[in-house]
Amino acid sequence: MAVGLEELLDTSGFVPHGVCLLWRSDILMLHVASDVLIGLSYFSIPVALIYFVMRRRDVAFGWMALLFALFIIACGTTHFLSVWTLWTPDYVLEGLVKLITAFASLATAAALWWLMPRLLALPSPRQLEASNRALELEVATRREMEARYSGFFNNLGEALFIVQVLPDGDFAYEAINPALARIGGLDPDRLRERRVRDAVKPELADLVIPRYTACRDSGKTIDYEETLDMPAGQRVFHTMLVPVKDAAGRVVQILGSGRDVTERKRLQEEVIQTSKLATLGTLAAGMAHEMSQPLNVIRLWTENTLTRLHDNLLEPARAEKALRLVIEQTERMGKLIDHVRMFGRRDGGGMQIFHPANCVQSAVELVRHQYRQEDIDIVEKGWAAQLAVSGRPLELEQVILNLFSNARDAIVALRAKGGAAGRIVVAVSDDPDGYSVVIQVTDDGGGIDPAVLPQIFDPFFTTKEVGKGSGLGLSIGYGIIDGMGGRIEARNVDLEGGGRGVRFTITLPGQPVSSVDREFSHA
Amino acid sequence: MPDRFHILIAEDEVLAAMALEDFLSFKGFRVTVAANGVEALERYASERVHALVTDLRMPRMDGETLIREIRDRDATLPVVVMTGYLTEDSDLKQERWKPLEIFSKPVNPRTICTTLHRMLGITLEA
Repeated sequence: MAVGLEELLDTSGFVPHGVCLLWRSDILMLHVASDVLIGLSYFSIPVALIYFVMRRRDVAFGWMALLFALFIIACGTTHFLSVWTLWTPDYVLEGLVKLITAFASLATAAALWWLMPRLLALPSPRQLEASNRALELEVATRREMEARYSGFFNNLGEALFIVQVLPDGDFAYEAINPALARIGGLDPDRLRERRVRDAVKPELADLVIPRYTACRDSGKTIDYEETLDMPAGQRVFHTMLVPVKDAAGRVVQILGSGRDVTERKRLQEEVIQTSKLATLGTLAAGMAHEMSQPLNVIRLWTENTLTRLHDNLLEPARAEKALRLVIEQTERMGKLIDHVRMFGRRDGGGMQIFHPANCVQSAVELVRHQYRQEDIDIVEKGWAAQLAVSGRPLELEQVILNLFSNARDAIVALRAKGGAAGRIVVAVSDDPDGYSVVIQVTDDGGGIDPAVLPQIFDPFFTTKEVGKGSGLGLSIGYGIIDGMGGRIEARNVDLEGGGRGVRFTITLPGQPVSSVDREFSHA
Repeated sequence: MPDRFHILIAEDEVLAAMALEDFLSFKGFRVTVAANGVEALERYASERVHALVTDLRMPRMDGETLIREIRDRDATLPVVVMTGYLTEDSDLKQERWKPLEIFSKPVNPRTICTTLHRMLGITLEA
């Protein structure tokens, strides 16, 4: 049974609500005024709500506000209809509007309860404020750290760079610091994100890429010296590469630092040269003796021969013997001269891959004869080194000679105090680890006072009397061995025969002779 | 020449000793060679020696010790020193070691010979 709208709105048969109020104007006014005020107020609330939602687009559950607005408009409408029905008995219409209000209220109330847990979960402004404060603190700390580290990166004189290892294994520059940009004449912005091969000159790329590859493949920190052509000329860098790995252990980044050691190298070479001359000076006395011996033999035999020739008593066999002796003696002198000549050379030759045993051998040969005169024996033991090392052979020889000379001085000093000594043992062997060569020089000169042992590599430290030692020998030796990537140590040892002495141990990193990684000095 | 003056040579360099021995023998001396100071002192103790020709740097007793030992026994034995070292400040230059002459290597054997003649008071007929 359908009821038409006309019939629904048909007011006939009803009396206006005002009748119930007996049309008393005071009561009518009270109702009208109250309902109108309530209605107007209710109507203004959704406007405010919508305005709020519109302005604060990030409000959570904004649709809830719209539901509230609908519910309040419906409520407001019922109040206006209450005024209307005071005079016009549209109770059906009023009922319908109340029905709509009921649904809106129900929906809003239900939604409100349904949302309650989530609304409670929303952070309160106080909580937000606290977390904001914490965040601000965090940001400030991070800013400070950032400033500190970027200060390091941007202000250090050392050349710093970050190389990214790309998924295909190639390398790209991630960042370089201003120092490197300045030294290398590079533009940090142009370099960023570019592959190394595209970013720098081919010659430079050929030098650095094998290093990056070595770091990437070994996953270990490596350091080396390299001579690079820079806008400011040729510079020597001591470069260190540190791999950065991801969780899977793959090298994803390489941190690099390069220290310009050109000046230090030059000074070092100058000091080495000075000490070489000083060593040469102390060797000069020995050399004079060495040279005078063959010269003496030559003079004696030629005078001999000449005298016999004058007296017509020279047999051809005797003449031949004399001449052969003379030739032998000139050869002996020639070797000595060659050695001294090489020793005095300024550049000392470039960096080479060489067998250290050969160096030790020629050092032994240079002094063996001279020492034998002083009843000091040089005993060679364990000549089993297979590995080669990288450096300048003559410098290593200089270090060994210096050790011999110290050993000799210790032996002579011990003898002067009535002790028995006269044996220097020298050994060259591969370290059992297979990566380094060990050279040991052991004397029986009584050892070094343990109190001064830590100082013996210090420049100008000497235990010898004034005029006997410059105090530079061991410190220069230390510098040379350090420059070769090795180390030199000294300790007192008790010898088999009951004596005591000092043992110097030089450990040098081994180099495969076939290494493509050969270094050449361009100096 | 008064027959057979005996010269003791102390020199560790065999070839030099051999040549000097040959030269001095050729010039009429009787020559004995010792390879070091100890050996030379033994020879000196066992034989009559008229002069000593010695090197300074030798294994087993150097020349200076040898001369000291000999001067303790004979203050007038002529000594000729042959040395490869600079001897400007050598103690051997002192008067008390005389009769002693020092020559730097390489030495001229004729000079050694005439020095020995002079020190031994030998005059040669022209």
